[in-house]
Amino acid sequence: MKGEEERERIPIKERPEWADVRPVPQDDGPNPVVPIDYTDDFTETMDYFRAVYLADERSPRALHLTKEAILLNSGNYTVWQFRRLILDALNADLHEELQFLDQITRENAKNYQIWYHRRWLAEKLGEHVASKEHEFSREIFCKDAKNYHAWSHRQWVLQALGGWEGELSYCSELIKDDIFNNSAWNQRYFVVSKSPLLGGLEVMRDSEVAYAIEAILTKPENESPWRYLRGLHKNDGKSLANDPRVASVCLDVLTGKTDYIHALNMILDLLCHRHQPSKELKDAVDAVSPDPNLSDVGLAEKVCSILKLVDPMRSNYWEWRKSTVPAQD
Amino acid sequence: MEDEELWDFDSESLSFEKDRHIYYLEMMYRGLPAPYQGQEINRLTLAYFVISGLDIFAALDRIDKEAVINWVLSLQAYPKNDRTFENGQFYGFHGSRSSQFQSDNSGAAKLNASHLASTYCALAILKTVGYDLSQIDSELLLKSMRTLQQPNGCFMPVHTGGETDLRFVFCAAAICSMLKNWTGMDREKAKEFIRNCQSYDGGFGLIPVAESHGGATYCAVASLKLMGFLGEDSLSEKASSDVINVPLLLDWSLQKQAFEDGGFRGRANKPTDTCYAFWVGGTLRILQADKFINEEALRGFLLTCQYKYGGFSKFPRVLPDIYHSYYGFCAFSMLREPGLNPLCVELVDVLSPIPP
Repeated sequence: MKGEEERERIPIKERPEWADVRPVPQDDGPNPVVPIDYTDDFTETMDYFRAVYLADERSPRALHLTKEAILLNSGNYTVWQFRRLILDALNADLHEELQFLDQITRENAKNYQIWYHRRWLAEKLGEHVASKEHEFSREIFCKDAKNYHAWSHRQWVLQALGGWEGELSYCSELIKDDIFNNSAWNQRYFVVSKSPLLGGLEVMRDSEVAYAIEAILTKPENESPWRYLRGLHKNDGKSLANDPRVASVCLDVLTGKTDYIHALNMILDLLCHRHQPSKELKDAVDAVSPDPNLSDVGLAEKVCSILKLVDPMRSNYWEWRKSTVPAQD
Repeated sequence: MEDEELWDFDSESLSFEKDRHIYYLEMMYRGLPAPYQGQEINRLTLAYFVISGLDIFAALDRIDKEAVINWVLSLQAYPKNDRTFENGQFYGFHGSRSSQFQSDNSGAAKLNASHLASTYCALAILKTVGYDLSQIDSELLLKSMRTLQQPNGCFMPVHTGGETDLRFVFCAAAICSMLKNWTGMDREKAKEFIRNCQSYDGGFGLIPVAESHGGATYCAVASLKLMGFLGEDSLSEKASSDVINVPLLLDWSLQKQAFEDGGFRGRANKPTDTCYAFWVGGTLRILQADKFINEEALRGFLLTCQYKYGGFSKFPRVLPDIYHSYYGFCAFSMLREPGLNPLCVELVDVLSPIPP
């Protein structure tokens, strides 16, 4: 594919419209360190870029040249910056620019400069592009539902330009597609706490706790909904301990006897915040213990001992947690 | 990449191939292959990976230190008139020649495009090769750096505009720390920004409300450490920081070590990747919680990403690159691999050379 493009490329020095320009070679000094073995196309393109940049030529051909330079090194913020100056000077059609961006983002979706340029454009174009922007990030998520740049962009568009309608159901859709998609869980937390249409975290807590619990019961080994559940209670141990549904979902997971590491971790947090465990919960903890002869007196210590056995990757951590369990009255 | 099958991924080594890594770095020092041209603008950063990498191996005798110093210094930005500088401009270091133009006084080229990340890497290289940083004109650099700090405390990387996030707060803090002069930033404001980046799950996103990410988390915690907001013993209850939620951060970080293969992932439920051994492992080190890492498992994972002719890749069985190689070396230094220099983790900088 790349070879084809290269064959089609006419060297700039052979293009009549560039005949009047003298390229400016890179001055690498007497002792260049860590030199890069540039391809000829790269060297030529950047030599001409330097020439138009030094001449401050804000012309249609310079605009086209920045496009060629961007395709060769899309991280070059100087090229992008110059392109923005040219776009302004030529009063260029920014919708057309957005189309160009769509195209290169599809091929190179993880580049900070591309997304920064997009934000610059969206900011200029204003609110009426909000839905188009949401559509575009949606397209990116079809290929990579965890693209960090696209998520940051989407959050920015929501906050700056709007388009919150349907965002919560979009999160549900993504979580339904992949319940392990932590980016979608993060977006859900963002929407629930920041959407001007939903009333905020306090208002949403009740229904969202139910949503998180359902997800936990589907895949108890999934870290995301456990963190989300804690987040809904603002990581306040007392608030978690006072919500009976939290202890109850832990009990349900323990009773299932598989994938209960996160449940034990949650129980430990509850116990450290003076949650009074039911007899059922105590029995369920005993029932999952791989070693019936654990000598721990307190339930919290026992939970740590079990975690040490069933989660050996973090055994030192659980041992330490055991040593920091607050004294029971 | 299509001909990846032609590459030799057989016979995984069970030991750290020190000499091959030094050879790999020497090769990169002499010249980076064409696929790196796409990162030309960050050439100083690429040089930093190579030179600091050689320093980890106590192999700086392989390079021409004078040449390195002169090349790095040649990338520093100065105002046109001796001591005056135009408001809003940042006088740091250019990432490469393609953002540096000898001052022709007109048009676009008069905008200097020196960059915070390049400035951090420039100073780190100079320090590594033994250049006395007190010789740098730091007053101008720091005074102009302040103009990059945003009202919310975050930093812009380059004065002509760019994305603002935790990476550049870290660069600014590292620059001030290396120059031993904090006039370049408002630390209280930076601290507020960092606080706002801690997510509901305990990790940090690159900007407020973004998803927790290993790299962002390192930047947050290392910056706090450099700025003096994290005590010596941040785990103890007494020292429990009111700046950030340390217990939650600790739990989030430790959960990133995957039970499947012992490597670290950068985000919940994402694949493990060499570089997060440093980003998340380094975070734990700064919190003095690296004793909780399962080092044997981590080492085992990293060795599956070691290329038989030197270097590390992101995932097992793909080609190595200089970025993942460097953070792989850093991780092995943290794992106290014999013959490697220890790191000052919050600066990603060799502490004190091992005796020859």
